[in-house]
Amino acid sequence: MVPFSHSLLVAALLFGMGLFCLLTRRNLIMMLLGIEVMLNAGALAFVAASLHWQQMDGQAMVLFILTVAATEVSVGLALIVALYRRTGSVDPDPPADRQLAAQAGEGGV
Amino acid sequence: MMMTLFAPELTVLATAVVFVVLACLPTPDARRDYLTAAGLGALTLFVALTALGVQGDLFQEAYRVDRFSQVFKTLLALAAFLVILLCRRLQEIPIQRHAETYLLLSTATLGLMLLVSSVHLFAFFMALELSSYSLYLLVFLHRDQAQAQQAGLRYFLVGTSTSAVMLFGLALLYGATGTAHLGTLTANWGQWAGQPTVLLGLLLTLAGGFFKLALFPFHSWAPDAYERAAHSVAAYIATASKVAAAAALLRLTGPLTGAGGLLVECLALLAILSMTVGNLAAVAQTDFKRLMAFSSIAHAGYLLIGVLTFSTAGSSAVVFYAVAILVMKYTCFLVLVQVSGDGRNLAIADLAGLHRRSPLLALALMMALFGLAGIPPTIGFSGKLLLFHAALQKGHLLLVLIAMFNVVISLYYYLRVLKAAYLTEPVLAQQPPIPLATGDRALVLLLIAAITLIGFYPAGLLHLTEAAAQVLF
Repeated sequence: MVPFSHSLLVAALLFGMGLFCLLTRRNLIMMLLGIEVMLNAGALAFVAASLHWQQMDGQAMVLFILTVAATEVSVGLALIVALYRRTGSVDPDPPADRQLAAQAGEGGV
Repeated sequence: MMMTLFAPELTVLATAVVFVVLACLPTPDARRDYLTAAGLGALTLFVALTALGVQGDLFQEAYRVDRFSQVFKTLLALAAFLVILLCRRLQEIPIQRHAETYLLLSTATLGLMLLVSSVHLFAFFMALELSSYSLYLLVFLHRDQAQAQQAGLRYFLVGTSTSAVMLFGLALLYGATGTAHLGTLTANWGQWAGQPTVLLGLLLTLAGGFFKLALFPFHSWAPDAYERAAHSVAAYIATASKVAAAAALLRLTGPLTGAGGLLVECLALLAILSMTVGNLAAVAQTDFKRLMAFSSIAHAGYLLIGVLTFSTAGSSAVVFYAVAILVMKYTCFLVLVQVSGDGRNLAIADLAGLHRRSPLLALALMMALFGLAGIPPTIGFSGKLLLFHAALQKGHLLLVLIAMFNVVISLYYYLRVLKAAYLTEPVLAQQPPIPLATGDRALVLLLIAAITLIGFYPAGLLHLTEAAAQVLF
């Protein structure tokens, strides 16, 4: 059997990769995916812990995490579509809005 | 039996269902939506008051109904009802979206009510998510899409990434201890307290509560969300959401009585940073709602002082201060809604001449700001006194001193707002007086009375908050 610490390490690595993706990408869809990877890293750690303690609690939690992740994607994509319709960009700080802010002067800060 | 224990939550759920139906009807009707929401909000408040004394465990002990949770549920029902009253002239949100606004307000309230009763970490996480997702969408509904979308997206991204961090913290806690029930965690805390995984897991878990409270490293969403959301939505975030966040932090940390050393130092550092950053940034603000956001960040720091004492006195002070924040912040937003009229944002300079346009509103604003600044005899002064007293009992002298300095800084910008309202002459000499409906007038008088009377006689409320805090230990 794989030791608990090893699966926890994999989960931590996965979490770090998700966080890296979230912080470095300038594309909302990729940022959303980064958050998704972070959530799944948590789910993996729960499954591993569930196996380690021989309980079903952690596995039950993973089902809830799946629903949260689905909500996150549906809400997130809806927001991104609304933004894309208005600005034509999936940048978290769209060029059109930056111009708007520059015109407004310090009021846009 | 179960129905009576769960009555306030069921009422809010029923409200949400009603608004799902209303949102599907082809003809939008602002007045119908408002009256339905106000009626159901009043009903929820009534049910929450009748359920104040019930106790019990639900859902295999994952959900605890006790004095603590019921006091907070009543406060949440009150806050939700008051916020709905602000929605009478909801012009910032397109009329087709009004039913959805009330729907999201009820699901947010439901999430917060579930949050204050959860004693299982999984239930805790799900309740937090329910309220957060409702609030992301509410910020997004403002008519000025360019502004609201930016703020909503930032709120959403910060919020979901914080909840992912919190989830990983929960996984670490569960992995290290084999239990996710707060009661079991508390009972055996001594044997786990030394493990780094447990401490890390706990800190990551607390991040979720810190985000709700807009504490310093998790505060970046707050100024934009406050400024660009509709007034009533901002009022909801500033009152209901903060009250529930304080309750959540107390539930998570309150029982760790024996905790010391590193955990307390981490929390003290966060409290100091949050107060200082919030207050210093607030000094530079010109927009009233942005000022309120930074003042919320500073108040999150004050609240954390009470949390980190890990004592009954400290927890009771936190509950008291949560009530104070609810009343004072709501009064500020009520004045804002009345002065702004058509839902545009107010700069502090726009308040000029308020004492002539509406003496009552100016008085309410003065009492609320005095309360926020902690000037006696207001509810805010009693709250701060209790918080600092609880911290001194535990020997956090330096922390209290820094908090005092911060109170002085905050006095500067609160008085700046008052100077605008009372002393500055408006640019346009003749500004029309602000008409107040009889109901609004009564509400304003009630709020002023609450701020001053509880300031003079805090004993009654203190009795209630102590009863609530005692459940935790």
